Amino acid sequence: MTEAPKKRGRLFYKFLFVFLIVSLVPLGIVGYYLVNLSQVTLNRAISRDQEALAVGFSDTVSSYITNFRNVLFDAAHLEDFSSMNAGKQQALINHVMQLHAPFLELSVIDSGGQETVRVGRFVRDNKLRDFSNDALFGKVMKTGEFVGGLEKYMGSYPAITMGVQIVSSTTNQGTGVLIAKMSLTGLSSILKTGFPEVTHTQAAVIDTNGFLIAHSNLKEIYKPDAKLPDDILKILLQNDAKTGGGEIILDTGEKVLGAFAEVSELGWVVYIQRSVSVAYSASNEMLKRTRWMMLLVTVFVLILGYAVSLFITQPIHALREAAIKLGEGDFDYLPDISMPNDEIGELAHTFMQMSESLKVKTAEIMSAKEELERLNRSLENRVEARTRELKSAQDELIKKERLAAIGQMASVVGHEIRNPLAVINNSIYFIKTKFNASAAANPLDPKVTKHISIIESEIRQANGIIDEILGFARTRELNPKLTHLNAYMEDLMMSYPFPPHIELVKKLAPENPTVNIDTDEMTQAVRNLIKNGIEVMPEAGKIFVRTEVAGDMVRIDVEDAGPGIPKETLEKIFAPFFTTKARGTGLGLAVVKKIIDRHRGRVEVTSVVGKGTCFKLFVPLVTNNQNKQQYK
Amino acid sequence: MSGQKILVIDDDAHLRESLAEVLDLEGFACLQAGNAKSGIEAAKKNNPDVVIMDIQLPDSSGFQICQELRRYSKDFILIMMTGRFLSAEEKTQGFSLGADEYLTKPFDIQELCLRIRQLLSRKGK
Repeated sequence: MTEAPKKRGRLFYKFLFVFLIVSLVPLGIVGYYLVNLSQVTLNRAISRDQEALAVGFSDTVSSYITNFRNVLFDAAHLEDFSSMNAGKQQALINHVMQLHAPFLELSVIDSGGQETVRVGRFVRDNKLRDFSNDALFGKVMKTGEFVGGLEKYMGSYPAITMGVQIVSSTTNQGTGVLIAKMSLTGLSSILKTGFPEVTHTQAAVIDTNGFLIAHSNLKEIYKPDAKLPDDILKILLQNDAKTGGGEIILDTGEKVLGAFAEVSELGWVVYIQRSVSVAYSASNEMLKRTRWMMLLVTVFVLILGYAVSLFITQPIHALREAAIKLGEGDFDYLPDISMPNDEIGELAHTFMQMSESLKVKTAEIMSAKEELERLNRSLENRVEARTRELKSAQDELIKKERLAAIGQMASVVGHEIRNPLAVINNSIYFIKTKFNASAAANPLDPKVTKHISIIESEIRQANGIIDEILGFARTRELNPKLTHLNAYMEDLMMSYPFPPHIELVKKLAPENPTVNIDTDEMTQAVRNLIKNGIEVMPEAGKIFVRTEVAGDMVRIDVEDAGPGIPKETLEKIFAPFFTTKARGTGLGLAVVKKIIDRHRGRVEVTSVVGKGTCFKLFVPLVTNNQNKQQYK
Repeated sequence: MSGQKILVIDDDAHLRESLAEVLDLEGFACLQAGNAKSGIEAAKKNNPDVVIMDIQLPDSSGFQICQELRRYSKDFILIMMTGRFLSAEEKTQGFSLGADEYLTKPFDIQELCLRIRQLLSRKGK
């Protein structure tokens, strides 16, 4: 395997992608609208809640003021208040002030506008003032009561002035006015209780001039120039609606959710402001949760999509792998598919069938190919063998031609040398005879006699060499005769002049086989071998001559106990003119081989250095049947 | 027995002379001829007891001379000399044409003399 196959293919990712698109996009769109819708709704609800709060607080403020007006009213309308003397009135007013902490000052003014009683928490001089020209006094006398005149009492507390007519229970006539200055810090306390700091909500009450009456943060109230920021004031003061609310972007850049409500009768405005992040925290929280939910769903869808894609593509992937294996020629690889019962399953099934069919076809092709290769090889072998035969035949032919040429030349040379040899021979004979004749009278130098013998010996030697060469070169026709081998061998050994130091050991085949041989030539061959054997044992030794039937051949062994022939020499001994002797033509064994070849036999030689050499001549055995045919 | 005439015919003068003189030494009376023509003439003229001739002569083949000599006389002993192997056929042919013996050069003089004498005595000479 060259490359690890990809576990998930492109198809897998396509499936995954499509699955994600199909499931996540609608989810996203729906989620987006849902979140936005609910956020808007929620924000609206929050805004409305805030408006309702503002309305509620405007009622609270209204009832707070009304409550204290009622206290004043009740006091002024007491049955005998108008008839009371100043001391008694003062005692009552003191009592009222002790009961209601917001009252800062209480004054009783008679119908003439003269202050008759004055009680105050921070008043030191108790000097009675003249209110006859006071607009407030006049208004109360005319309308019966008055609430207004906002101020910063002693430059710190926001305060309001209230006045009610003192009415005589008997005459039901106005006899004077009860005026009170009342601290409004209580409103701020109410606001603070309603909107503690942790809620990040600020609430305030202002009048139509923008005077800050109350604030949820008390510190704001005590500031000398206490008022709401200008941008908010602008919105509140220009607005004609009784209630309202919405998002405001402040000059500081902060985004806030504001709501306002008019306090009935007084014309004040209650304003509630919350930072948007706080106001919408619920919707933000919802958004956050929704996003988490989306993320969870996405992860879930991813995992699901992964699983589904894998489930769908796994068989296809396995099929692909199997197809690759098939391409590589691995027919036994079965894809690891839990076959689904659908089109893919059918595809896999078809694939298996195709694979099986391919396997069969490929096996057929392979076997045909093998057969073809085998034929090719056999053809090649035959061509090679034939080429070898031809080559060897050619070599043989060349060798034969060469030998024939050599033979021809040798024959001519030999013949030509024989004449001079004959002459020398005759002449030396003449000289020898002459010397012998005169020997008695004139004794011969023994050295001359010796040299004459040397010449005679050398003539014989030379003649022998020529005989050998001519014998080898001779190309007379073979003249085979059916011969009883044992008798023939006995004759041969009998006639051979074995020297006395050689012991002949013979062992002839008891079957007394018949062979078809040219006895002249065979004799020459065997004699050459015996001669060689004798020559290698100059001191003493044994020559073994054996005959034996070996299958359809007869074997003639000539073995000596000489020094043996080294292996490298053994290969060359049958080559013509090869010799290891000081004097020799090197034709003896070549003649042996030639003769045995002419008899359709073969020559083998085994030699052990230091032990001896054995030549084995194989010639065809003549069986009885052949024998009869031959004699017919 | 001795003093018998031997005619030696060979174109090789050295061989011819050496053989003739050796045979003289052995007690024969030798005549010589260098070619076929003079050999035949000498044979006709001198009527030798033995003719020793080379099988190959420059002017004629040994067999032709053999035939010619035998046509003239069947009395003498005819010995053929050769420097090469003769095939069985050649030998047979020679014998049928009247040759008494073959000699392969070089030859042992004593053996030759012995043989000549044997042949002569067989012919009753």
